[in-house]
Parts: sequence; C-alpha cells; structure tokens
Amino acid sequence: MTVEERVLDGNAVGGLLLELFGVELTAAPCVCGACGAREEIARLDVYVDCPGVVIRCRHCAQVMITIVRGPERTWVDLRGTSMMEL
Amino acid sequence: MRTLVLDVAEWGGHRAGQHLDVRLTAEDGYQAQRSYSIASPPGDLLEITVERLQDGEVSPYLVDDVGDGDAFEVRGPIGGYFVWDGDEPEPVLLVAGGSGVVPLMAMARHRARVGSTAPMRLLYSSRTWEDVIYREELGTLGVEVVHTLTREQPPGWSGYARRIDDDLLREVAFPAAEGPRVYVCGSTRFVDAAADGLVRLGYDPRSIRTERFGATG
Repeated sequence: MTVEERVLDGNAVGGLLLELFGVELTAAPCVCGACGAREEIARLDVYVDCPGVVIRCRHCAQVMITIVRGPERTWVDLRGTSMMEL
Repeated sequence: MRTLVLDVAEWGGHRAGQHLDVRLTAEDGYQAQRSYSIASPPGDLLEITVERLQDGEVSPYLVDDVGDGDAFEVRGPIGGYFVWDGDEPEPVLLVAGGSGVVPLMAMARHRARVGSTAPMRLLYSSRTWEDVIYREELGTLGVEVVHTLTREQPPGWSGYARRIDDDLLREVAFPAAEGPRVYVCGSTRFVDAAADGLVRLGYDPRSIRTERFGATG
C-alpha cells in the first residue's frame, strides 16, 4: 500500500490519547499552528507506522502532534498545534 | 469473521460508533494492540466483530483461538466524534466498505432499539455476497440497505456491481438539501473516495463523519 492508503485518522489514536490524558479527545477541536484550520482530532491525518505517532493537519499537512512512547515515559510534541479545545 | 461477546469489569457503557482497543501480551512481554469497533448497541452485551487478517498479530487469536472464559486486556470505550446517539431527527446515511460496517451496525441496531424515526440508509460495499457481514439481520432492522458487490455477484444479481462512484452516490444518497448526517467507515481509500464524492454532490464536509480502518490485524 502507498503512504496515502496507510494514513489513518484521529479515531485511531483515541485510545492512546485517552490513556495519556484521561479524557476522550477525538471530538476535541484543534487549531493548526501553520494554516489555522480548526478540526476535531478525529478529522486529522494520523500516521501510526512510523517510530511513534504523527498527527498532521488534513489541510496543509503541518505536523500538529507527535507522540513517542518509551518503556517508562511518553513524549508529546504539540508545537504544531496552536490551540486545543477541551 | 467472528463476533465475540465481552464481559468487561466496570465497563461504563458505550455509544453507537465507538471502538475499543484489545491488547495482547505474550509471555516474553511483547505486546500487540489493535482497535475493534463495537457492534452491539448501547445497553446491550458488549460485542465486537473481528475479521481475520492473514499474518495479523491479534485477529487470528481472536478469531481462531480465544474461547469461552478466556481473558485479555481491553481499553475503552473510545471515541466521541464517530458516534450517533439516536436522538437526532435528521436522515442518516451510513456508508460501509467491508468490515467498516461494524460500527455502523451498532448505529442501525441502536436506531431499532430506541425506536428512532430518523430515516436511515446503509450503502454497503463488499467484494462478494459471502463477504457481507450480518446478511440476514440487516434486512430486519427497518434500515434501507443498498448493496454493491465489487468483485463477484451471485447469479441473477440485479444490484450494484461496482465500486462506489459519484453516479452511484447520487442514486443512493439522500439529497444534500435534506441535511443528512453521514457516517463513512472502511479502508482509507474507500473512505476518502466516498467522502470526496459526497462533497461533490453538495454535502457539507462538516456533516460527513469518517473513520478509516487500518489493514493491520
């Protein structure tokens, strides 16, 4: 399969986000730090077959969130997200 | 294909369209985790329908090996976006590709359970008639079901026999002016094709909720 066929959406990381943050987040709108588009996490593009999880804006492909899990701790990079509404 | 009934301690109930994660841990500590949509309606026993994927790490165990009383780790319910609660009056269009029908089945069952009068139509794309999940039950739910069989059709088949395209969507989908809610679930390619086609028909992109299934098992 091509990369385009393997990209999932934010539904696929709902369980991971629930475990990390303790709340349901797939319906939480996020604003892209690059283009300003506001979409629920479920509507963002998600790549899971890389080291960690990469969540990109569906409009401009900006990397909005990356999550890397280690055995003891998890690293969450939110630089590409300017706002998350909970 | 197999449907499993799960008895989860302290399960707080679920909404139609949600999924859960199953995590298996080997004796050496290796873990494999996959998401499965919940097939049963809210208030019913918790059911998942699992498609056995060749070379999968989790689905062969769930389909072939797991038996009554076996235990494994479950996380959920998950999802607050791809859900239908049954109290909205708008028509509902469900579009399923293959096993993407599972969360939509929870919605169809939920509609029947709560006696919702929202018109509901399911457009369901399968490779062959044998691949159609819930074949018998689908006809009993009061939901209008339109099949398309993309690879092989039974003798005398008069239904659709091609992949979903704009013409097919135009014939099956509610008019955009009726303000339908849409749920599309299937492979990434299927979901994107269906959603893009509906937008070309005038559907508001915000009204189209999608869930892409990965092909990892």
